[in-house]
Amino acid sequence: MLGALFTHAIELSGRQRILLMLPLCLAIAIVYKAIRSENLSRLPAAALSLWVTIVVGMSAVGVGLWVLFEIMV
Amino acid sequence: MSVLRVPLAGLLTWVVPGLGHLFLGQKTRGLVCMAAITATFWSGVAIGSVQGTVAPHSRRLWFVAQLGSGGNALAAYGLHKLVDPQSAASPTPKVAGHWASAEVGVHYTGVAGLLNLLVILDAMVRAETGGSRDRRRPGTPDGVT
Repeated sequence: MLGALFTHAIELSGRQRILLMLPLCLAIAIVYKAIRSENLSRLPAAALSLWVTIVVGMSAVGVGLWVLFEIMV
Repeated sequence: MSVLRVPLAGLLTWVVPGLGHLFLGQKTRGLVCMAAITATFWSGVAIGSVQGTVAPHSRRLWFVAQLGSGGNALAAYGLHKLVDPQSAASPTPKVAGHWASAEVGVHYTGVAGLLNLLVILDAMVRAETGGSRDRRRPGTPDGVT
C-alpha cells in the first residue's frame, strides 16, 4: 500500500497542477522564514505573509505574461 | 570537537534535513525544517512516482538538485532501483505515470533539495557563530527580517 503510493503517479488536470503551486510555495516560505527568523514565535505569521506575497507576485507575473502574449499573438 | 562542529552540522543536515539544527540545540528550527523539507520531497515522489521523479539518467540536473536533500534523495533512488532495476543500466529509463505528474513531482523534489542547501548553510553558520545567523549582530531584537 505504502509502496504503491510512491510507484504510481497521480494523474493531474491542468487546474490541479496550478493548485499544487500553493503547498510548494508554502514550504518555501516556511523554510526560508525558519532560517531567517531568530524569534520563532513569529514564524507562522511571517511564513504566511511571505506565502501570500509569493503567490500574489507569481500570479501577477503570470497574468502579465498572459496579457502580453494575447496582445502580441 | 569545536573544529568538527561546523562540517558535522552541515553533514547531519545533508543526511537528514534539520538534524544539524537539532545537533546545535535548536530544536524547533530543526523540526520545522525537517518536516517542511521531508514532506515536500516525498509529496513530490508521491505525485510523480519514484521512477518518473528521481531519474538521474533522464533528469540529470534535477537529480543534482534533489541530492541537496541527501538522505531523502538517496532513499528515493534506492527505491527507484528496487522498483525498476533495469533503469539504472539503461540510458533512457521508462517514465511511469502521467508526464505532467512527473514534472510536478520533479519540481517538488528539486525545490526540496535546493531548500535543504539553504538549511545546510544556515546550520554551518550557526555552528560557527554559536547559534546566531549574524556574527556581527548576535541576537537581533525582532529577529524576523
